[in-house]
Amino acid sequence: MRSARIISTTAFLVLVFVVQESLISRINFPVSGFSLYIAVLMGLISLEDRDGAIVTGFIGGLILDLSPTIDAPLGQWALVMTVMGYLFSVNRETIGDFATRPAALIFFVALGSATSLFLFLLSGLMLGENNGAISKIALIVAGNSLWTVLFSPLILPVLSRLRAISLSSRDRA
Amino acid sequence: MASGGNNRSRLLLVILLVTSLFLITLDLRGVSLTNSSRSLTQSVLAPVQRVFSSAFSPVGNFFADIKNFGKTKAELKDVQAQNEKLKSQIVINEDIKGQLKQLHATLNLAGRGGYTVVAARVIGRGSASTFSQTITIDAGTSDGVTKDMTVIAGAGLVGVVKSATSSSAIVLLMSDPSFRIGVRIAGTQSAGVLLGQGDSSYLLQLLDPAGTIAVGDVLVSLGSDNARPFVPGIPVGRVTGVDHTSASLTQQATVIGLTNLDNVALVSVITKNAKQDPKNALVPTPQPTVTVYVTPAPIVPVPSPGVSTFASPSPLPSVSVTKK
Repeated sequence: MRSARIISTTAFLVLVFVVQESLISRINFPVSGFSLYIAVLMGLISLEDRDGAIVTGFIGGLILDLSPTIDAPLGQWALVMTVMGYLFSVNRETIGDFATRPAALIFFVALGSATSLFLFLLSGLMLGENNGAISKIALIVAGNSLWTVLFSPLILPVLSRLRAISLSSRDRA
Repeated sequence: MASGGNNRSRLLLVILLVTSLFLITLDLRGVSLTNSSRSLTQSVLAPVQRVFSSAFSPVGNFFADIKNFGKTKAELKDVQAQNEKLKSQIVINEDIKGQLKQLHATLNLAGRGGYTVVAARVIGRGSASTFSQTITIDAGTSDGVTKDMTVIAGAGLVGVVKSATSSSAIVLLMSDPSFRIGVRIAGTQSAGVLLGQGDSSYLLQLLDPAGTIAVGDVLVSLGSDNARPFVPGIPVGRVTGVDHTSASLTQQATVIGLTNLDNVALVSVITKNAKQDPKNALVPTPQPTVTVYVTPAPIVPVPSPGVSTFASPSPLPSVSVTKK
């Protein structure tokens, strides 16, 4: 992953993070909230190559750690998203190219969002955090997954287009 | 499961995981990295959030609004129904107020005359196809109302009961062209016959050739045998014009009815005559008119250098008020 792409991906993620914190978090979604940022991050990770997925996961997690509303140690989301990037990257060859299978991409993005939330909770448990009742947690995860499935068809084509534009000829090769 | 990746990827993964764990450790050990970085983020985000907040505040409850759309619509419908009900209640109250006023005036007139009356509401008016000027009232024979009874309102005569059923009665209005009533002039006691003209004006034919009629004279009913169809002493109308040029033997005059038959809503049917003739007791007394006399103040010239003006010695002219 070239440094230029790292910078552009970071800038894009920062933009999505601002939108998430300023606008999306203000909307009272039924069931539970929707994290556009995690959905976009999962989309970007799924479209990246092996190294790119890990790096994008780490950067994305680190940006998410900066959220003023999160009550968790700095680096926890970075850890979780790095693991998620790794998981996506190791299964990438098995799954195949997401670009030609949009339904599978939506499914894996939703699954990745849910898994990342569970991993965050799990890591929080290990760090001694109190995350509330399991039923509430399950509702949050289920609601987020639902909204991710519903919004992914709108988000992922944009991400695919942006990725295609940002790829240099060297990356394509 | 796919292959575990090459060494470079593994190294990258390890580095990033260690970095994450290092950050977590630092944070948990009390290094103020978290707070300062998040404070910085908050200070950067705050202006953007304010802009989004003002620009997209209606969006916040978009889904809740959609969810409650049906409920809100139902509530709106309820409120609209209540509003309509209240509006109709206001109209009813106004109507009741008007009716109460008319009833009060009618009963006042009947009370002053000493008549026994049955109050009734106007529930219908004669259709144009019958060409007769009638009203239908909601009192009938079960209330003691029978044919040929005098019907009055607050100001005076309305008409006479033409027919009655057990629960309603038809009243021939005094404006009907077929309506005739014997009247006398309240002041001179000259007798005459009042004829309906089909509108609010009436024709008075004085029976006494030597009698005099003047504009403003009030006419009261002369009365019939056994007070049927008319009881005596009911105010009927006021003379508005006298025909001096008439070639007929009797004097004629134009009369205007005291009761506005167009908006009468409550009437009283006189079921029993007064023990004694009220004579002119029911004749409406004119309202006192206030006459203002203004005496112009004398104008006294006031010398002024270069300019000649007139000024009043007193600030106001004298005013005297008398009641007639």
